[in-house]
Amino acid sequence: MKHHRPLLAVLLVAVAAATAAAITVPKVNFTDTRLKNGLRVIVSPDHAAPVVSVAVAYNVGSRNERSGRTGFAHLFEHLMFKGSENVADGELASLIENYGGSHNGQTDKDHTIYFEQVPSNQLDMVLFLEADRMRSPAITQENVNNQREAVKEERRLRVDNQPYGRTSEAIAELAFDNFANEHSIIGSMADLDAASLEDFSGFFKTYYAPNNAVLAIAGDIDEKTALAKVRKYFEDIPPGPPPPPLDTAEPPQKDVRRVTLQDPHARLTLVDVAHRVPGGLGPDVDALSAVSSVLGAGRSSRLYDSLVRRQQLAVQTYAGMQQGKGPGLFYLEAMVAPGKSAADVEAALYAEIEKVQKGPIEEWELEKARNAARRSLVSNLRSSLQRAILLARYAVYFDDPGIINTRYERIASLTIEDLQRVARQYLVASNRTVAITVPAPKTGAEGAKGATGAKGAGAQ
Amino acid sequence: MKGVAAIYFLLVLATTAALAQAPAAPPPAPPKFKGKAPVSDEILQIKLPRAQEAKLSNGAHLMVLEDHRVPSIQFQIIMTGAGGYYDPAGMPGLADTTASLMDEGTATRTSEQIAQALDTMAASVGVSANQGSQVATLTGSALTDQFDQVLALAADILLNPSFPEKELGLYKVRARAALEEQRSDPDFLREERYSKAVYGNHPAASMGLTRESLEKMTRESLVAFHKSNYVPDHAIIGVSGDITLAEARTKFESALKTWARSSTPRPGVVDPSEGGVFKIALVNRPESVQTAFMLGQLAINRTHPDYDALTVMNQILGGSNGRLYRELRERKGYTYGVYSFLRALRYRGDWRAQMDVRTEVTEASLRDLLAELAKMRDEVVPAAEFKDAQRSLTASFALSLENPNELLNLYIVRQLYNFPIDYWDRYTERITAVTPAQVQTVARKYLDVKGLQVAAVGDAAKIAPALRAVGPVEAFDDEGRPLTPAP
Repeated sequence: MKHHRPLLAVLLVAVAAATAAAITVPKVNFTDTRLKNGLRVIVSPDHAAPVVSVAVAYNVGSRNERSGRTGFAHLFEHLMFKGSENVADGELASLIENYGGSHNGQTDKDHTIYFEQVPSNQLDMVLFLEADRMRSPAITQENVNNQREAVKEERRLRVDNQPYGRTSEAIAELAFDNFANEHSIIGSMADLDAASLEDFSGFFKTYYAPNNAVLAIAGDIDEKTALAKVRKYFEDIPPGPPPPPLDTAEPPQKDVRRVTLQDPHARLTLVDVAHRVPGGLGPDVDALSAVSSVLGAGRSSRLYDSLVRRQQLAVQTYAGMQQGKGPGLFYLEAMVAPGKSAADVEAALYAEIEKVQKGPIEEWELEKARNAARRSLVSNLRSSLQRAILLARYAVYFDDPGIINTRYERIASLTIEDLQRVARQYLVASNRTVAITVPAPKTGAEGAKGATGAKGAGAQ
Repeated sequence: MKGVAAIYFLLVLATTAALAQAPAAPPPAPPKFKGKAPVSDEILQIKLPRAQEAKLSNGAHLMVLEDHRVPSIQFQIIMTGAGGYYDPAGMPGLADTTASLMDEGTATRTSEQIAQALDTMAASVGVSANQGSQVATLTGSALTDQFDQVLALAADILLNPSFPEKELGLYKVRARAALEEQRSDPDFLREERYSKAVYGNHPAASMGLTRESLEKMTRESLVAFHKSNYVPDHAIIGVSGDITLAEARTKFESALKTWARSSTPRPGVVDPSEGGVFKIALVNRPESVQTAFMLGQLAINRTHPDYDALTVMNQILGGSNGRLYRELRERKGYTYGVYSFLRALRYRGDWRAQMDVRTEVTEASLRDLLAELAKMRDEVVPAAEFKDAQRSLTASFALSLENPNELLNLYIVRQLYNFPIDYWDRYTERITAVTPAQVQTVARKYLDVKGLQVAAVGDAAKIAPALRAVGPVEAFDDEGRPLTPAP
């Protein structure tokens, strides 16, 4: 269901894992260096194709935004494409495309990442472009006004004009109490309008310093040459003071929270059941990701088999988890079949949670998660761009790029008891937010729009 | 037929100096670039590995691209004659339904057993048959150490699907819901209306299943379609990854040994008939905050001599950093993205553009887009911009070397359209040979606004006057019925 998918790159944990025993698992080789100005540089050579990829991840995302400035980190990302001291507006995109490359940027709750993939003889160009905008982006009123419009169109396209577009935003707002965690990445139209030029300059000085960034290079380049080039373009960018610490702690939740959303574009009712899960990448998060595989991966998953095939209450199901530095949500979701009731679907979701908590879980269900982890490791090896992005992202998220390799072993070592333990701990009513998105009445819908519902007693 | 072809990517064309000299005059003014970023002008020599090929005993054409970097194998079996193009009259969506149900039960495996086996290996096997396409495609992927099991499953799905009544019933429940949901999806609504406007009664106008045809799908109709249309005679089997031609040949011969030749002739196609005059089809989607546009007209088939020139033209106009993007997104801020595409198949296809704009700028954005088409027709593309587009197309070819499956897809195109064996080796040469005059000629031929068909999905009460100011409007509701009263 698309609203959870790439809403500005929420990292959904592809679950995975393994009877690793006799299976040989390849490794991503990389080096990890810090320049004098604090820039962390990761290089992962691979000479299979004349292609090189670069990713620059800044340790700033929507969690760092303050109240009244939602959507700011993402709007800033857009601004980074509008030129810098030695690069004109549009020149970065033109150069990369015209020399055969591709590029983009993404913002999520925990980081902002820029990346390029080019023929390997254009590495200097890409490093020059990235260094120039790290040093001196063109923060002008004209550029801000211009990209504000593009971002508003992005919001309309992905949220306001889509069926169920508002649902995940409403769930996060209800499920979390800490402003850092609860507001959406793309933000509100009013906040986008309120952002001033001073806000942008301040944000840049605080978060876009080399000591708050990771640069990853993967592909057809040797480590020594890559490092020399990086030093040439980046090492004289002055470091900044360390950014202020971020508090992502949530006050404890006491009761289940509920909301009903009237959606003018929805045709069927959607049931979402979300649970708070911890940030970081501890053993509980590994086990929860395997639980999401048991419940949601493929047609053999429990939700599909039970709700869609056997009970025919739903026509689509989904289970997945957002993962990052701060707290995330573990989602169960089902699209209610025409003529069936949302209450029955919700009850059926709880029944499946209970079955995981009380067992049994079959060995093959764990094997699914293991093999998925192995496959994602293999696909990371093939694509230099994917490798650069993940190495930079893991360094920012978890201070450990090596997770690209160790993730498989972590999943492979899980036991059925681990899965049941975290299901009993996290997938419980006192940790839960439920959203029912229903089709809005067809005409005269004014006044019926928007959310009804409240955080449970004791919240806030 | 093994061997390696060398391709020379000429990166010497436009230097930064040329970029800096880009003409600055007529609106939209190209931004003045600073030309300080170092670019490489060296000639990057790339060796393009060729697919190795063989005929299987049942007539299927096997193409293998080896890549032993990582322990995984991807494969596809492409069957001409089983795609949505060949839906029988009155049964739109039969090809798609047949393909969708093939992995829901075989003579010896239940739907649950197939799903469990594949999911446990984190492998994939699926069959798809797109609307307007001649082909159905079975795609699969597996880790090397599980390839034999996955291939055995794939062969079973391809050759012995049983189309159980129970699964067909469950499929109909899901499909009814999907048919309902797509009526509020702006992407679906615009493509449906646009395709009707451009292709009329041609199979390419079909969007597949309808509420009526879904109820007519029977087990017998699926069995019959599978039996007559899934034949090996004209099939292409593409395999890339951690496998050799010899291994692939042995394994596929063995797995598909019961797939017998049918000796049916290669299924043909007909061209769509010439389109109508310029008009705008408005689809009412109340409470929309954007207008979703798709517009274009009939162009060419894949083997047409104008193909290379149109490819370059499309890159200049609607590529990822093309004129439409620079003008309508970057300069005007009307949209998050605007792109154009050339859809060239064995029959005459179309050139189309699409964008989603906020309701308030519906008229202005459409006028600006039409103005860009006029500019392509009326003005010769400046030399620097032209060379940038050529270089972008040829240099980006290098990126496909990282993904053998992407490269293999190019060879499959070569095989499907009977192009010469060195078709892709000479790609750079052909693109580089296209001239600005040729691009203007094809723009005049295929971007002629007189025949342009526009589909616009949005809140009719708000956008009908804006659209009427640009051209004649026919309005429809979200079920495709004429809107009464007209907005």
